[in-house]
Amino acid sequence: MNAIAFNGVTKKYGDVVAVDGLTLDIAAGSTVALLGPNGAGKSTSINMLLGLLRPTSGDIKVFGNGPDEAVTRGDIGAMLQEGALIPELTVRESVDFIRRLYPDPLPLDEVLRMAELTDLAGRRADKLSGGQTQRVRFALAIAGGPKLLLLDEPTAAMDVESRRSFWDNMRAYAAQGRTIVFATHYLEEADQNSDRVVVVARGKVVADGTAAEIKSGVAGHTVSFRLGLQSAAGLDALPGVSAVEIQADRVTVRTGDPDATLDALYRKTTLDVRDLQVHGADLEDAFLALTKES
Amino acid sequence: MSHYLKIELLRMVRNKRYIIFVVAFPVVFYLLYSNLWGDQVDETTGLKGAVVLMVSMAAYGALAASIMSSAVPWAQERHSGWLRQLQITPLPGWAIICTKLIASMVLVLPSLLLVGLAAVLTQGVSLPAGEWAGLIGSLWIGTIPFIALGLTIGSLLPPDTAQPVAMIGMFGLALLGGLWFPVEVMPSAMKSIAQVLPSYDYASIGWKIAAGDAPDASSVLGVVGWAVGLGALAVFAYRRATVRA
Repeated sequence: MNAIAFNGVTKKYGDVVAVDGLTLDIAAGSTVALLGPNGAGKSTSINMLLGLLRPTSGDIKVFGNGPDEAVTRGDIGAMLQEGALIPELTVRESVDFIRRLYPDPLPLDEVLRMAELTDLAGRRADKLSGGQTQRVRFALAIAGGPKLLLLDEPTAAMDVESRRSFWDNMRAYAAQGRTIVFATHYLEEADQNSDRVVVVARGKVVADGTAAEIKSGVAGHTVSFRLGLQSAAGLDALPGVSAVEIQADRVTVRTGDPDATLDALYRKTTLDVRDLQVHGADLEDAFLALTKES
Repeated sequence: MSHYLKIELLRMVRNKRYIIFVVAFPVVFYLLYSNLWGDQVDETTGLKGAVVLMVSMAAYGALAASIMSSAVPWAQERHSGWLRQLQITPLPGWAIICTKLIASMVLVLPSLLLVGLAAVLTQGVSLPAGEWAGLIGSLWIGTIPFIALGLTIGSLLPPDTAQPVAMIGMFGLALLGGLWFPVEVMPSAMKSIAQVLPSYDYASIGWKIAAGDAPDASSVLGVVGWAVGLGALAVFAYRRATVRA
């Protein structure tokens, strides 16, 4: 069964289209990254999943129900972009309050442990650092033991060390068979922490698959060698080639099919190829290629 | 929901502004004023100053508690994202405003009871049991229009505006309603303003009961009318603040 089903969902703010006919299914139990630049429609999509925003048209289902019903049943937990705590309450009080609102919550001690808050449980929210506050917000998101966890750029305010442990904690929660969807504009986070990456740009899905599939689907390989005084004429006609650049005495050829390009380079030209280098696309190249304004 | 109420009460009790402005102020001013004017007797009602001031300061404390415990915390919660945090839990939307109302009503009680206790202990005020019950009961229920006003302010304004507006509303209602100075000594223009304010009707009910009389129907109607009007406004403002676009 799908945890999430977007069916032709569009969200407009006046004339601005934030989400443009989004159709997307996410299987229960998977961990999916929504990867895209700012303004791609990631937050709008997450807020629609939570019933905080209504689609202009189209239909959203969460475990077969509308978003409002899914929220009422306690199926969803979320860590939204902004969100302060009540300053006068301790970590334990806040987490316990939220978890008791759910029909089938996790035990309090387990929530505190999973968010690494056991030692901070008695501290008031106004005495927490930024990174500690983020951990409490993660704890609030998982406290009810939701089947679906939504994280909207959860590591935005974290340093490197907190980020690493945050993703460890997230994976521990995912390992309990929960569905997780997180929005990010960090490619590395999407690559390392998800089993599926959905790249969105301008409110549409522009690529969908594992990080490896997305990398390979983009004409992002380069073949380069020392050209010396030879002419570069004809290189742009080789199979797979999309661009030719010359810098000093080196030529760099961008290609979607490096095997075919190299084969033709040796067999069908008379060029003297020296100091050859072949680079695969990384996710960043793929991302930039996919999300650039067309 | 009872746990939600507990949380709301806990946070306000830990809030210094609430403790100082709402719980300590009325008691301290009662002690001060009653030492100055406690022995004076009001000629029209025959009430001792110590009793009149008890009602005035209890009414002020209750008024302050109603507005301060509703407007600013609610504006802050909306602004800081805590409201969104609640909206994505199974807690139903109506439970939020109902809990706020009940919490504010509970938070009114300390100032009401402490001023009464100060009057009994320091000024030897004594009333028949029925009058105590009537006085405290009506001053308690009568805070509903002020809580509604506070929730309206909190729903419509951002926190940095809600704070001064709540303060001005609170002191304005207290001053013009005759809680700090008797309405009789005010210039006639202020007097006519006072008489349409809910705070004047509210305190008048208390003064009448403390004097052993039945409250004026006009005062009761005034408080009920304001409660209905501000209550409707509060519900409208709450819906507007929590609408899902």
